[in-house]
Amino acid sequence: MLSFLYARQSGLDDPVRLRRAESTRRVLSLELNHNRDVDRVHGNGINTLDIEVIDGRYMLSGGSDGVIVIYDMENNSKKLKYSCKVVCTVGRSSRHVHKFSVETVQWYPHDTGMFVSSSFDKTMKVWDTETLKPAEEFQFDGNVYCHHMSPIARKHSLVAVGTKDPKVQLCDLKSGSRIHILQGHRGEILSVRWSPRYEHILATASTDSRVLIWDVRRASGSLFTLDQHNGDKSKASSEAVNTAHNGRANGLCFTADGLHLLTTGTDDRMRLWNSATGENTLVNYGKVVNESRKGLKFTVSRGCSPEFVFVPCGTSVAVYGLHSGELITMLRGHYNNVDCCEFHPDYQELYSGGKDCNILAWVPVLRQPDIEDEKTNSKRGGTQAAVNPAFEDAWSSDED
Amino acid sequence: MRRSDSCSVTSGQMSRKRALIADTFCLKRRRCTADAVPGDTHDGAADIRSSLQNLMTLFSRKLFNDSLPPVALKHQLYSLHSDKTSVDKQVSELRANGELLMFQLGFDSEAFALVFAEDYRAKVLQGEAGRETLGTVEKFLAKLIPGCSDLSFNKEKMLKEFLFTDSEITQLVKSGVLTVRDAGSWWLSIPNSGKFIKYFIKGRKAVLGMVKKSKYGEILKTELEERRTTSQVKFQMKYHIHDIVGAELVECIQTTSGTLLRYVDGNIN
Repeated sequence: MLSFLYARQSGLDDPVRLRRAESTRRVLSLELNHNRDVDRVHGNGINTLDIEVIDGRYMLSGGSDGVIVIYDMENNSKKLKYSCKVVCTVGRSSRHVHKFSVETVQWYPHDTGMFVSSSFDKTMKVWDTETLKPAEEFQFDGNVYCHHMSPIARKHSLVAVGTKDPKVQLCDLKSGSRIHILQGHRGEILSVRWSPRYEHILATASTDSRVLIWDVRRASGSLFTLDQHNGDKSKASSEAVNTAHNGRANGLCFTADGLHLLTTGTDDRMRLWNSATGENTLVNYGKVVNESRKGLKFTVSRGCSPEFVFVPCGTSVAVYGLHSGELITMLRGHYNNVDCCEFHPDYQELYSGGKDCNILAWVPVLRQPDIEDEKTNSKRGGTQAAVNPAFEDAWSSDED
Repeated sequence: MRRSDSCSVTSGQMSRKRALIADTFCLKRRRCTADAVPGDTHDGAADIRSSLQNLMTLFSRKLFNDSLPPVALKHQLYSLHSDKTSVDKQVSELRANGELLMFQLGFDSEAFALVFAEDYRAKVLQGEAGRETLGTVEKFLAKLIPGCSDLSFNKEKMLKEFLFTDSEITQLVKSGVLTVRDAGSWWLSIPNSGKFIKYFIKGRKAVLGMVKKSKYGEILKTELEERRTTSQVKFQMKYHIHDIVGAELVECIQTTSGTLLRYVDGNIN
């Protein structure tokens, strides 16, 4: 560690290198912590979480009971033991609350004055955070599975919405219009995601096993479809040609630089694609258990090297190396199925929510003082502070 | 309800994590491994080849009266080597060299059978000896073995590229080298492999049933290897164990008494 600091100081190393190494170390030591908790408000499972991008201070959660809660994650109490407090909620008593379960919530990417939520009551509501009243409401014909706003858009303010209808709808926040539709899928749209690199590129995943990449400026259809066999038509049976998965494609996540796209499907596989060419990189993650009938919300770490993927698998969260495909660890702690997880890039913390109505915070374990002295650490269990044997009192007797 | 610090991280995982941490912080160790990398890939392919040969020895030849070449499944390699991506890469390297042939068996879209090319050719020609389809089959094998690494062929390819006639294609299907996939395309297949697939599926079900019926649905790998095989299980126990571990039909847990196999719920097979 000191050599890294010295190299950074003397200019031998890029400043980013120390940050990446330390972020990676922190992600590898994620654990449940006594001292960090999130207030429990939801009476039913938690479907979605979102942490705002600007400060990383406020977190939104949407539950199966239609309730939306905002938490303040900053610790101003000067005590080690801290519970993330609820700032405000849109509860069952509010006049504007969603009638059925909230499937996706997202903060407005540029400030926390606004957030958008979509629900199985076939509506998508744009809320004003100050008054907690919807400023705009969009009605749809079928259940809304997911929506997404582009995190980097400057030229447009479109929200992509995936519903039961095979047509992807784009709603404009500035004008309130929703005439722009993207046609190409043949089944329900389970997940939509804008690219974090180009503000006009959109990826959509559907129950027809295909994942399509669109440029919204283009009038005619999609740019390309992701093919798991990379065009090698001989590998699959004839129905499975040009599909991203052998079952429903239900999860999408771009890596932080937007160069790669991860997709998950009900064939229990996760695939990594080159987002520019649509080529399957053939990284084999093994069996990623996926029984979700709706979209699966998973996330990728930011600022580490190598990057990690956090996928909810049953009652635990699986952590995979992004490019190596190996399973690093399973984070166990929930009592029931985990539905969503969100990574906090500044503190390298992971928040996960599930059917047991809890949001768990996975916090990196503090650095141990003797990293070289592994033998003494393992003897004492590793988590307690290890005393250097030179300072141990080995001579005074107990009788004194 | 207070949740205590999760002790879910076993010692094996902790040491793997520590190894990862140590790598990023230890510049010296990284320089040493950088030198070792060029030699690695060559050794890697030989590694897979020897693992495949080991698996082939587990295959019971006399069960099929010596009419089938030794077959291994690709996911059995995953139980021997931890890095699945590099296993996949090396298998495609061997296929590109023409040493290995891959077949789609049909009962599972992810289950691929691997056979060494010389074994395949020897057995097919042995099976064809004396029949009138011998000439066509020889011609097909000559086209297939050095260059082609496809799993299925469609009509256009057979007629234009390989220059076969319709009647010759019928002969190939009759001899068992091609199986019908749909109108106008065929899978590459192993002749007489129907019996193999039947015994394999039955045996897999029986072994999984053994794991499921054990107390708590889990059993030590060494204990399972020593169990007496029922009449349903025609192959060697180790062959089936590699299969269920590699296909992740059971969860593999490292314990102080060895590897524990735990039945995973939600399996259809």
